Amino acid sequence: MANAATHDQDDHARPGFFTRWFMSTNHKDIGILYLFTAAAVGFISVALTVYMRMELMNPGVQYMCEEGARLTAAAVGECTPNGHLWNVMITYHGILMMFFVVIPALFGGFGNYFMPLMIGAPDMAFPRLNNLSYWLYVCGTALGVASLLAPGGNGQLGSGVGWILVPPLATIEGGYSMDLAIFAVHVSGASSILGAINMITTFLNMRAPGMTLHKTPLFAWSIFVTAFLILLSLPVLAGAITMLLTDRNFGTTFFDPSGGGDPILYQHLLWFFGHPEVYMIIVPGFGIISHVISTFSKKPIFGYLPMVYAMVSIGVLGFVVWAHHMYTVGLSTTQQSYFMLATMVIAVPTGIKVFSWIATMWGGSIEFKTPMLWATGFLFLFTVGGVTGVVLSQAALDRGYHDTYYVVAHFHYVMSLGAVFCIFAGIYYWIGKMSGRQYPEWAGKTHFWMMFIGANITFFPQHFLGRNGMPRRYLDYPEQFALWNYVSSIGAFISFASFIFFIGVMVYTLRWGKKIEEKAYWGEHADTLEWTLSNPPPEHTFEQLPTPDMWDKGKH
Amino acid sequence: MPTGSQNTQRAASNAALCSYTPVERADPPHWETTLWPHRSLGAVGFRNVMIIAACGLILPAIPFMLAGAGIFWLAFAALALGLLWLAIVQNNRQGKLREHVSLWPDQIAVERHELNGEVKRWSCNPYWMRSALKKSGGPVKNYLTLIGADREIELGAFLTPEERSALYQEIETAIRNLGQSRA
Repeated sequence: MANAATHDQDDHARPGFFTRWFMSTNHKDIGILYLFTAAAVGFISVALTVYMRMELMNPGVQYMCEEGARLTAAAVGECTPNGHLWNVMITYHGILMMFFVVIPALFGGFGNYFMPLMIGAPDMAFPRLNNLSYWLYVCGTALGVASLLAPGGNGQLGSGVGWILVPPLATIEGGYSMDLAIFAVHVSGASSILGAINMITTFLNMRAPGMTLHKTPLFAWSIFVTAFLILLSLPVLAGAITMLLTDRNFGTTFFDPSGGGDPILYQHLLWFFGHPEVYMIIVPGFGIISHVISTFSKKPIFGYLPMVYAMVSIGVLGFVVWAHHMYTVGLSTTQQSYFMLATMVIAVPTGIKVFSWIATMWGGSIEFKTPMLWATGFLFLFTVGGVTGVVLSQAALDRGYHDTYYVVAHFHYVMSLGAVFCIFAGIYYWIGKMSGRQYPEWAGKTHFWMMFIGANITFFPQHFLGRNGMPRRYLDYPEQFALWNYVSSIGAFISFASFIFFIGVMVYTLRWGKKIEEKAYWGEHADTLEWTLSNPPPEHTFEQLPTPDMWDKGKH
Repeated sequence: MPTGSQNTQRAASNAALCSYTPVERADPPHWETTLWPHRSLGAVGFRNVMIIAACGLILPAIPFMLAGAGIFWLAFAALALGLLWLAIVQNNRQGKLREHVSLWPDQIAVERHELNGEVKRWSCNPYWMRSALKKSGGPVKNYLTLIGADREIELGAFLTPEERSALYQEIETAIRNLGQSRA
């Protein structure tokens, strides 16, 4: 038995900087590490898009030249278009965003920090494994950036094959950049799988006594669903890219028709992972939005159980719709009909969630603080993206829209305006809890409006471009598309300015922000367990288990 | 020590009556109980999780098999499933912490079985022992301690406050019953 006297509160000194941040086993510190790393990688990834939008602002090629990448516009005749550079930009924007920014921020960052707190667990089930997951993610990121800078195809740096690394492009791409990209995805996959297993074990086995699955907060549920999607789909991706690796280096022909292989097989395997992947990106966001909307509507969330099962069914359906990314590869009409119908079914659980959020706000006393602005912005824009999703789900219409800017607009509305808005909602919602300092409200609101306007100006015109038939993945375009590309670029610059402003807001908040003492500073409707803790929470929380009267408010 | 000076003095004078040596007695205790940390996933839940995960991982085997690349699927899927199994088993093992309390008319014994197999022991004459329930001010709500000799030990710090409160009542009742049976 422990000696009672050893339980004095401050019986050990705080660890030093190196120990705390480099050898951390504390789920809160690891969550913060994830958030900062994701922000840094996000900056690189966003910078690539700004360069792309600079290039697309006017017809003709002014920046990405064979003579070298430029930061100032080249005069006519001075610049030979460099398609490889363009392809590299879109490839690494995709890879970094999909694998190294959004999932690490939402799942690794907020998931690590808040899921154990919400279920009343003392820490993650395996704190040291958690540390390993984080450092594997850093290694993966480093490999990804190394791949961008390593010798690749066309005698230039980097690989320009698209984020899905699709063969035969990926098989014939020269240099070793492509191999580094494969390793990057492998390592990040290992990190995600270990993280997911840790999350699953924590969620299932370490909930506070009496907290049944049907009483667990929605954000914790969303992390659990995401973890299961990762567990089931990443082994498939790992298998597929390993086959790609052997095709490239050991003379196998899994994806090469000349040796009896089938390049379409890769697409099936990739998208069997890839479609759940987009739900891994958005589902943790669903969890955050539920808490934010409930808090600022001053009402418990409407339809808790349908919300939980909507997330579960979105997860399940995510595994049976993958070929809607592949309508034009030569599937039979029957296959296309199936994938079309299955895809449209996803609108049902998604609709349940959207209507439940609206019902939560209905009749509530809504307060538009910054997190709520992001949440309502998300709600509106995600719905817009969802509607264009239903349009694209139709195989017949997809013939027209395939590989046009309409698709680009669609997936940026659900991911750039959906998932990224969730990240910002989460940051403004919880930053006082995580840092003990609160952001200036006017600054948060300014950031929101800049980003909201900027992102809409960026992506809404791309619907028009797509409907007019502008294909994606090209460096240049006929001058008939000039107007909306110009507008779109202006929007991208506004969004980028808002991102810079956001970094400023964060620096200000963390250094000089107003100290916040009140535990539940958003009011009594922020009623999950993290709001019973100080700001920031003590290093060790809930070593003694919390009790039902702390979390069971009969509502979530 | 968070205890009052009066208690400390009284306990110290009776130090000889309490010990940390193993208690081996043939006669069955009048009352005993075992305490353990909470684990929310039962055996059925564990089985269900493994079945769902296995089904989900087996599904994509077909295209891999058809391409003659079954080994790539098997390796990663088996690894994922194995790690999940190992993780939950290991987590359950960490929930194996046990505290065992036994009470005889002339002795109360507490054994704490740590995960590394170490057993910490404490025993005392219940007549010279006092149990205390600190409703607030302790490290946890309803902090339950047994005080005897020069040492105050905590009991069931990993339980919920309600459970500790119930345990306190049980111990008090059991000790009172001892007194009646002796009288």
